[in-house]
Amino acid sequence: MATFTGYLRARSDDELVALLVRRPDLATPHPATLASLAARATSRSSLDRALTWVDALVLQVLEAVVVLTPGGGAPTPQDVADAIGAGPADAAHVARAVDDAVALALLWPDDDGALHVSPGLVDALGANVAGLAPGTADVRDPAEGADGTDAPSRPGPGPDPLADLADAPPGAASVLEALQWGPPVGRTPPPGTAAADAVTWLLAHGLLDRGDGRHVLLPRHVALALRGGRTHRAPALAPTPENAPVRDPQIVAAESARAAEQTVRLVRQLLTRWEQSPPGVLRAGGLGARDLRRTAQALDVDDAHTAWLVETAASAGLLADDGEESPSFVPTLEADVWAAQDVPPRWAALARAWLASARTPWLVGGRDERGALRAALDPELTRPWVPRLRRAVLDVLASAPPGAALTADDVHAALRWRSPRSVPPLAAVEAVLGDATRLGVLGAGALASAGRALVADEDAGAALAADLPAPVDEVLLQGDLTGVVPGRPGEDLEDLLELAAVVESRGGAVTVRFTAESVLRALDAGTTADDLLARLGTAARGRVPQPLEYLVRDVARRHGRVRAGAAASYVRADDPALLAGLADDPRLAGLRLRLLAPTVLVADASPRELLDALRARGLAPVAEDARGAVVHAVAPERRVRARGARTSPVRERDPADRAASVVATLRRGAPTDAPILAAAVPTAAVAPATPDLETPAPAPRRPRAAETGTAPRGGGGTSDPADVLVVLREAAQARVSVWVEIVGADGSSTRRLVRPLKVEGGRLRALDPRREAELTVAVHRIAGVAPADPPAP
Amino acid sequence: MPDGPLIVQSDKTLLLEVDHDQADACRRAIAPFAELERAPEHVHTYRLTPLGLWNARAAGHDAEQVVDTLLEFSRYPVPHALLVDVAETMSRYGRLQLVQDPVHGLVLHALDPAVLAEVTRSKRTAGLLGARIDDTDVLVHPSERGHLKQVLVKLGWPAEDLAGYVNGEAHQIDLQQDGWSLRPYQQQAVDGFFHGGSGVVVLPCGAGKTLVGAGAMARSSTTTLILVTNTVSARQWRDELVKRTSLTEDEIGEYSGTRKEVRPVTIATYQVLTTKRKGVYTHLELLDARDWGLIVYDEVHLLPAPIFRMTADLQARRRLGLTATLVREDGREDEVFSLIGPKRFDAPWKDIESQGYIAPAECVEVRLTLPDHERMTYATAEPEDRYRLAATAAGKNRVVDALVAKHAGEQTLVIGQYLDQLHDLAEHLGSDLITGETTVRERQRLFEAFRTGEITTLVVSKVANFSIDLPEASVAIQVSGSFGSRQEEAQRLGRIMRPKADGKTAHFYTVVARDTVDQEFAAHRQRFLAEQGYAYMIVDAEDLGVAR
Repeated sequence: MATFTGYLRARSDDELVALLVRRPDLATPHPATLASLAARATSRSSLDRALTWVDALVLQVLEAVVVLTPGGGAPTPQDVADAIGAGPADAAHVARAVDDAVALALLWPDDDGALHVSPGLVDALGANVAGLAPGTADVRDPAEGADGTDAPSRPGPGPDPLADLADAPPGAASVLEALQWGPPVGRTPPPGTAAADAVTWLLAHGLLDRGDGRHVLLPRHVALALRGGRTHRAPALAPTPENAPVRDPQIVAAESARAAEQTVRLVRQLLTRWEQSPPGVLRAGGLGARDLRRTAQALDVDDAHTAWLVETAASAGLLADDGEESPSFVPTLEADVWAAQDVPPRWAALARAWLASARTPWLVGGRDERGALRAALDPELTRPWVPRLRRAVLDVLASAPPGAALTADDVHAALRWRSPRSVPPLAAVEAVLGDATRLGVLGAGALASAGRALVADEDAGAALAADLPAPVDEVLLQGDLTGVVPGRPGEDLEDLLELAAVVESRGGAVTVRFTAESVLRALDAGTTADDLLARLGTAARGRVPQPLEYLVRDVARRHGRVRAGAAASYVRADDPALLAGLADDPRLAGLRLRLLAPTVLVADASPRELLDALRARGLAPVAEDARGAVVHAVAPERRVRARGARTSPVRERDPADRAASVVATLRRGAPTDAPILAAAVPTAAVAPATPDLETPAPAPRRPRAAETGTAPRGGGGTSDPADVLVVLREAAQARVSVWVEIVGADGSSTRRLVRPLKVEGGRLRALDPRREAELTVAVHRIAGVAPADPPAP
Repeated sequence: MPDGPLIVQSDKTLLLEVDHDQADACRRAIAPFAELERAPEHVHTYRLTPLGLWNARAAGHDAEQVVDTLLEFSRYPVPHALLVDVAETMSRYGRLQLVQDPVHGLVLHALDPAVLAEVTRSKRTAGLLGARIDDTDVLVHPSERGHLKQVLVKLGWPAEDLAGYVNGEAHQIDLQQDGWSLRPYQQQAVDGFFHGGSGVVVLPCGAGKTLVGAGAMARSSTTTLILVTNTVSARQWRDELVKRTSLTEDEIGEYSGTRKEVRPVTIATYQVLTTKRKGVYTHLELLDARDWGLIVYDEVHLLPAPIFRMTADLQARRRLGLTATLVREDGREDEVFSLIGPKRFDAPWKDIESQGYIAPAECVEVRLTLPDHERMTYATAEPEDRYRLAATAAGKNRVVDALVAKHAGEQTLVIGQYLDQLHDLAEHLGSDLITGETTVRERQRLFEAFRTGEITTLVVSKVANFSIDLPEASVAIQVSGSFGSRQEEAQRLGRIMRPKADGKTAHFYTVVARDTVDQEFAAHRQRFLAEQGYAYMIVDAEDLGVAR
């Protein structure tokens, strides 16, 4: 009889590689043998993982094969297609789903092409496969098993369980109809009603089973008969959003490019701002709400948008905690590299970082379970499933027709089909779509070419560059001190306007306003009025309007009229000649005396040094205070502020306490040195003798059992723990009996012929046909398994 | 269109490049639904607002037209969200209608029951609506017609008022077009207003709003109540009506602080209507003194709040609002929309200027550097005194001298706020002065003398701001004003924007003390005037030959 292990053994290397690629968990750690690969592939956790990411149609195929198998042996792909109600038109979809299931090793075809369920899958699919009650074969009746019915009988009492239905009381049909497509459990109607009569009649005729006292169950064979032998109403084909509006590609490109450019610009502004005034890191590791709000105001976007920008910039490695004693978020070295690039590569870096990031910026501003505000950059806001969700969302959009603007509901429906066993929350899908719109991956709700390139791992920057409108290097300057760039400003123009004007609106064009403050900013940055006017003149269409020129000149006139500088002390005297002499005196050069006015000198030295130096030169200076009153020459009082009481307890810690804590550390770090442990050694030595204790060294026991026990007879026996598992699972699925060697609590081993029912959670549940009893054995106590095919002694 | 003249920004501003070939066509196409925000030399900025879009709906434009226009003229792809928003906003107008039901009387009728449900559930409509008649109709207390409309605009569901108007008491009024006729745009304004029922006509100062009012009265031929800003304005309305229509002096009454005449056509001031005695408006009965068929509101943008409240009770009468700008400094644009009515006609200044009906103007700001002692006084003055100090700087007299000399022979107005300064100036220039204390008779005598060219220079206080008619003033010099108000600017400019017989350019000078708050206020003025598209220059007083 062909087995799953045998099937896997017969695969080519390429096929195995393909399997390991699709189910990467099978490859870590490296499986030693094919048998252990098979064991891992049939383990519950690996199957659950594989099932999580199969689509609804694959799931249907799996369910159909599971349901069809007990009845008529292994079904063919055509049987499966019929069972799920697929017509010829859907054949390609079904074939794809079957191939998928086989490629994932959830099904395996035998040499005739019939499909077999991989061991363990039935359990992994759960109790009500395809909305059916557990089949008769699944209802494990020890008495029935005692008959040795290894080949399960055809389900159902008669050829047509529905034959009696013609005589059924009214309402019976609707009861059956309600349960037909599952779930198969119904609540028992209150007695005395017509429905109750119908249920009673159905129970009497075997068309319903009694569940517990309050529920009835539609038996699998009845349900299948009602369904006309089918397992599903209709094949679950991928949903096609029919009403999704299709956007003009130009609009998609324009809006995506606009958003992309804005994101790059905002991140640049964010970095500049944080470079100048870095916000502190909260103790828990995030960005304070007030800092977030302040940044949002500076960037002129809302808090949520800002949180997303900050998170994306951090994901791209442009921002980080500086690790100082009181830490702040500051731009990284990479930020400088990033800032030096053009818009498209800058955007691509952000977009790739966003796609791969496990961060959940949309949770910022909400409250966690303890009611605390969730901060941006909070390390807690990482969710491992987020990158997969982002990619899945973009995949859905990429597979929609070009220009289709899918709603969050459309995308959610598609994702539900793609992985029915792991449906992401709608809110997360909405958030991802919102972020994608901000980023410019979407334009007007449809995937833009840059987004398409991003999800296909192609050059997203180049795709964006193609969509970005050509830069305009001309600004229309007007008499009301505004300027309009009729398009996307080029880098130089953008810099000029950002330097010397205030941006009023952005979009297809950029409008700016020149104000006294903005011109002042440009002058503060080192530009001169002539320079600024020259640059504006070059960029302007026509000449610079008179009012603007006047404004620049007027501001320049006032700029720097008041000056400030640093000095530590001063000298004043009514005699300019005396001060001029002091300023030029080489002996006083160390004081760095400068003449501010004919009667005022300033120095970098402290007043005391200054006085001493002046006295040394033979002058008779007096010190004066802030109001000009003479201060007499007494030694200045030196005081320091007493240290706060806060630190004193630490300093004055009891030496005995300190010693105790050192010892405690030593004990924890080096247990073998500690004499106390001598007492623990006997305890540890006793442990293996106590069978019920989890002992620190269980390893020696199994080899010992394997050595002392008799080796399983016959071919195909195994004592490798991984192989043991797969043999047991295969046996459970095939409903055949095997010899197992069980190591008892005292180390003795016994051999028993059992029919495995289920291997789960480290335990084998099996039927011992001879003793007509079920037994449960911990898998680690099974030293070996041998098939029962060679007749048991 | 890839090379269109229009750029649509996502913040709902529309940028129109005026040098573009299609700029004119585009401007005409977007004017019905977009409000012109500023019109400097190269790029005009329009804005899409809910009120603007509703005005367009009221004028019979639908969202599809608006969207098509934007798409047709836009240089770049129009943001999708904006188009959706336009359609959404416009679809809100008219889903509710105020109609006269033959059985129930005034009824709020909904084309969409859900909207009615939303509106009736709102707390703000409590007390305004009566019993529900069926899914789509609910009774309205006739006295609350105006309040309801106000509330509905605030709720974002502006109602279309189809309830009609009382005919009013008939009174024959004809235009006497002997040797003159309504200009085409004035005729269009009258037609637009009458077609719409009630609403606002927006025309620049000097474009002949009084004639639009007269035209509307002739068309209505009913008794008319005209509300104006002050007595001088009232007299001018009366003179204009006597001159241009079949009305005689006896048919026109003045209802002001000094006279209380109620005649078939009555001209009342806002002031007298809003006078309260012991907490009661004493002259409210005027509104019901006759069965008025038409109420004209002059200078709607200055309409005081109590008049809004009174107007809410006048919804059954035809209302015509006249104004130069819909912008109100108090932000009550939506009340004008709901209580007087949507905009029925609009012609931008530049249009009418280019048609030769108003004079082109050049605005010049003269910056005067204060002498050191005045700067010191200014620097140490209390903040509340600073504006006065700066505005009344002594050096301004010399600047005015220089300007008057430069425009010798032209009709020149010197406008200011501070009486001391004005007295000083009048003395300095040797010209006459009009202030609030000048009697009406004296005022009219001086205006007449100015009009005939008998005197060429006149110093006026802010009483000149509103509705006086100085047809031949071609130079205005402003020495002080009240804190850079935009309305004031529009008014002052209006003084000199009247068409000149010789078609000469008008000059508008503002004298400003450098580096003071005066200069800051001037910045507002500059912005407003430049936004209106007037050439604006800044010169130093020294350049005019004024010594420091």
